[in-house]
Amino acid sequence: MQKILTFIMTVFLLAAGSAQAEVDASKAENFIKKVTTQGIEEIINSDVSAEEKDARFANLFNEYLDLDFIGRFVLGRYWRSSTPKQRTEFIDVYREMNIKTWSKRFDEFKGKTFVFKGTTPSNSAGQIFVNTEVPMEQGAPAKVVWRVKENDGTFKVVDIIIENVSLAITARNEYAAYIKKSPDGVDGLIANLRQKSMQ
Amino acid sequence: MRKLVLAAFLALGLAACATNPDGSKLSADDEESKLEYYNRAMFNFNYQFNKKVMKPVARGYRSVTNQFFRNRVSAFFNNLEEPAYFINNLFQGEIKNSGISVGRFLINTTLGLAGTFDVAAGWGLEKKKNSFDQTMAKYCVPDGPFFILPIVGPATPRYVAGWTADAYASPLFWALIDVENDGVDAAVVGATALKYINIYAENEGLIESLEEGSVDFYATMKSAFLQNRQKFISLCGTEDVENDTLSYDFDFGYEDAFDEEME
Repeated sequence: MQKILTFIMTVFLLAAGSAQAEVDASKAENFIKKVTTQGIEEIINSDVSAEEKDARFANLFNEYLDLDFIGRFVLGRYWRSSTPKQRTEFIDVYREMNIKTWSKRFDEFKGKTFVFKGTTPSNSAGQIFVNTEVPMEQGAPAKVVWRVKENDGTFKVVDIIIENVSLAITARNEYAAYIKKSPDGVDGLIANLRQKSMQ
Repeated sequence: MRKLVLAAFLALGLAACATNPDGSKLSADDEESKLEYYNRAMFNFNYQFNKKVMKPVARGYRSVTNQFFRNRVSAFFNNLEEPAYFINNLFQGEIKNSGISVGRFLINTTLGLAGTFDVAAGWGLEKKKNSFDQTMAKYCVPDGPFFILPIVGPATPRYVAGWTADAYASPLFWALIDVENDGVDAAVVGATALKYINIYAENEGLIESLEEGSVDFYATMKSAFLQNRQKFISLCGTEDVENDTLSYDFDFGYEDAFDEEME
């Protein structure tokens, strides 16, 4: 009897383990469909004021991106040496700066559509890549890959890869180079990003 | 003439090097930081060149052309790259793709009005881009260190070698060596200038928005350039062009392992 119980429990544990590692591909794809449709139809192509667009975008950004996770990766080794105050400040200004710079690029996405090209598994547990293409007026379509992380059934975007260039790695390399040169270290970076987000 | 221009750029580059103590914290004691010192100086020079020369020129170009015309210019220059795609597809054993490149070149050069329209794509003959850079990657030629070229910008030795080899395959080059005709040389230089002005004019918005969000634009460009080249790494020693490991599937959870890999 005890053996049978152990067996059943083991099976359950294994099943739970693999369920956690494997992300449901169609759910992840639907999630990105929701994000891109909202972004293009309700913000970029819509006929509302610029302020309203910015506000809607900020909501979209906060709701669907896991900024804590991304920010932590982006700051890399400097995350560990940072004080809790620096960490919160960094995530805040990183968020503001991203919302600001992306808002300015709305026009580039006007009238564009995302064509879904399936998913690719990731080596990281609980993550998956959703492949999309954006047809261009001239030349080959732009390849945009969304890195999606699932946590208890909730999906979040953790990276966007445009033509093989990961935004997270780019930011990480850029900030590491900046902090290395800056006499004020992480505080210098925070001040610089804050300035950018206020322009 | 071209040698003179090149020499002038090199001289400018060196001057920029000597007068730019901006990255003051960099000690020039190892090769890597020396190279970075040069790179940052040349990057600043290119940045100023783009701002003071390319930007006004592109702005003027945009004001006298419309999108339709600029699309025709892009298509024209893209078509001239088909012979290079053909050769490199062949080198890499992509026989079918090299056939497509020949077909595209013939169709677009004639029916596509000297390549200004991509009619072949409409017939289902999609472009099969390839390069000597990729051919070398396939034969496991190492990429070499990252450096900044005058005017051209980010490069690696293999990138430059590939670019040069592909230029020999371009009809623009064939026109250039036609010594019988004196007017051709100037026409080719003019065409090349037009090519880059057109590219700049079409991408200026992107370049500016990249810069806007960046705290270290050199580091941003370097990172983006090198990441884009990662797609070639898995080609070495494999038969399949489509590889199974994604270059951007880094381990998001374990930062230390990632740092060691990248630096």
